Amino acid sequence: MVNLAELTRDIRSGMVPAYVYNDADLFTLERDHLFARSWVFLAHESEIPSPGDYVVRRIVDDSFIVVRDEQGVVRVLFNMCLHRGMQLCRAELGNSSHFRCPYHGWSYKNDGRLIGLPFHGDAYGGDRGLVKKEQRLLPAPAVDSYRGLVFASLDPDVVPLRDYLGDFTFYLDFYLNQSPDGIELRGPQRWRIKSNWKIGAENFCGDSYHTPQTHTSVVEVGLFAEPKANKRKEGALYFAGRGGGTTYKLPPGTFEEKLRYVGYPDEMITRMRQNWTPEQQRVVAEDGFMVSAATAFPNLSFVHNWPQINADGLIRPFISLRQWQPVSESETEVLSWYAVDANAPDYYKEESYKAYLMCFGSSGMFEQDDVENWVSITSTAKGAMARRLLLNSRMGLGLDDDVISQKPPSFSGPGRAYVGYGEHNQRSWLSLWSQHLGYSGDPAEHSPVPAGDAAGEGDR
Amino acid sequence: MTSVTSTAAPAPLPYTSERHLLAWQWLVEEAHLFDRQRYTDWLGLLCEDIHYQMPVRVTTAKNAGFDRLAGMSHFDEDLYSLRKRVARFETEHAWTEDPPSRLRHYVSNVRTFATDDPAELRVESYVLVFRSRGDVRESALLSAGRVDVLREAGDGGLRLADRMIEVDESVLRMQNLGIFL
Ligand code: FES
Ligand SMILES: [Fe+2]
Repeated sequence: MVNLAELTRDIRSGMVPAYVYNDADLFTLERDHLFARSWVFLAHESEIPSPGDYVVRRIVDDSFIVVRDEQGVVRVLFNMCLHRGMQLCRAELGNSSHFRCPYHGWSYKNDGRLIGLPFHGDAYGGDRGLVKKEQRLLPAPAVDSYRGLVFASLDPDVVPLRDYLGDFTFYLDFYLNQSPDGIELRGPQRWRIKSNWKIGAENFCGDSYHTPQTHTSVVEVGLFAEPKANKRKEGALYFAGRGGGTTYKLPPGTFEEKLRYVGYPDEMITRMRQNWTPEQQRVVAEDGFMVSAATAFPNLSFVHNWPQINADGLIRPFISLRQWQPVSESETEVLSWYAVDANAPDYYKEESYKAYLMCFGSSGMFEQDDVENWVSITSTAKGAMARRLLLNSRMGLGLDDDVISQKPPSFSGPGRAYVGYGEHNQRSWLSLWSQHLGYSGDPAEHSPVPAGDAAGEGDR
Repeated sequence: MTSVTSTAAPAPLPYTSERHLLAWQWLVEEAHLFDRQRYTDWLGLLCEDIHYQMPVRVTTAKNAGFDRLAGMSHFDEDLYSLRKRVARFETEHAWTEDPPSRLRHYVSNVRTFATDDPAELRVESYVLVFRSRGDVRESALLSAGRVDVLREAGDGGLRLADRMIEVDESVLRMQNLGIFL
């Protein structure tokens, strides 16, 4: 059985027991505590734009229908018939005014209300035996959204989503709020990998150190110039609220020049200028950082890169959302979406989509090398020796726990930021993770993360 | 959106016809290049205007009228992006294929159709890819149908002008598409 006190102590010291990446007992704790109490991403509203549109998504083992009802309200309904427990909707997506159970034929409106059951009079004596209008599909205990991202929680007493995400929303808006209409999603591509779900989540929240090595080939073929070692280490790593991420340092220039360098056309830059707060604009214009990968705890990640998409050297950025959906301690389903500013011109949407496909997703050239590594870690973490090994995740700390990493000369975002390589974010993410395993009360009240890793510490 | 294989089409060319045999041979030779990972040679078999596509399949109700995601594919490639993918494999740092996968492309159910363009053939085939990585890792399978347009080149050979891959899984059980099919 897992010794949580020891595990938490090790993780806070930056030494990560290797077995955490492939352990059945821990997976049970993750399912019963972490995923049962956190906000978990399910869908984006743009995936279900019209009444009746639905997608079916999961929180670990629980299947939910995420549906827009006839009034336009997004509902999250447990995908199990109230009668004998049949899986009600067996498609992945579609449009329907109601859902009819294939077993005995109970049917439900797309807001979850039971509207019909065969032989109500004969079988139940009508409302004498079963009051039809009181029956509705079990809703998710809590549902909330942020800029169109629909989250659900199995904990009815979970803190509101905005409080949960905290200051991480400042950074989310670089991806989600480029114009007043927000983003639209395409996808997801779905595939299963023999990797523990935590590895991807941690990687995206702060591992800029792997980029020059893992992704050498992508730089070599001239697809994306930024991961070169000298460029990557100039980026800042930030952590705020329940999320953290990596950035790239941009060449000198104005707000407009920097965004043009990344490949945004002027009309989109004008809307970002209008839409982003002065502080958000300063992160780009004055501090000179552009968001790249990020993770919202626990398992929703983001990426923003700007590859060359044709032989003429055209650079276009793309945004991807991805979810590391746990299947078991050694298997993860990746759901990867392409996201784009809903107001972007059509030509841009197509070019940016091209950029996405080349870099990330099931065939993406970055993703291919990442997954190979994560599968390998997972299989190596399974045995007895992994239980004796503490992995060194102390980058950025001195032997006395003093912080070696430098703060950026200026940084206008909330939370904590360092420049250069460091594993501050992974330690923060893992500390959140360990706090959620032995839940008692508000996880935010638990003792903080290692010296120098506390979100909120550092210059504002 | 309709299913690739249900597209109304005239009867295929007889299996004994020379054009069918040439198309069939082309596909088997292509599979040979894939399995030996001779991707640069494969690029030589593609037309300049190649469109290589593998839409995302989804599980939908029978009456939904579609089983592919709108606007999202696993592959949606032109010659530039295919060249980049191949160039990456040719570097010494494409870790996902080092050590290389052991691959086997099984090609079957080849049906060849004449088209309005006398220089082009429409060729349907099934492909089953077996992929083994490392020593003890579970192998992976990928099953798909393909609809190709093969165009006669000046040298008398055939070149691939268009490929639509209809993959049979909605959730792929392969760790990545670091392969072609
Ligand atoms: S189980 Fe659904 S109607 Fe009986
Ligand atoms: Fe990576």
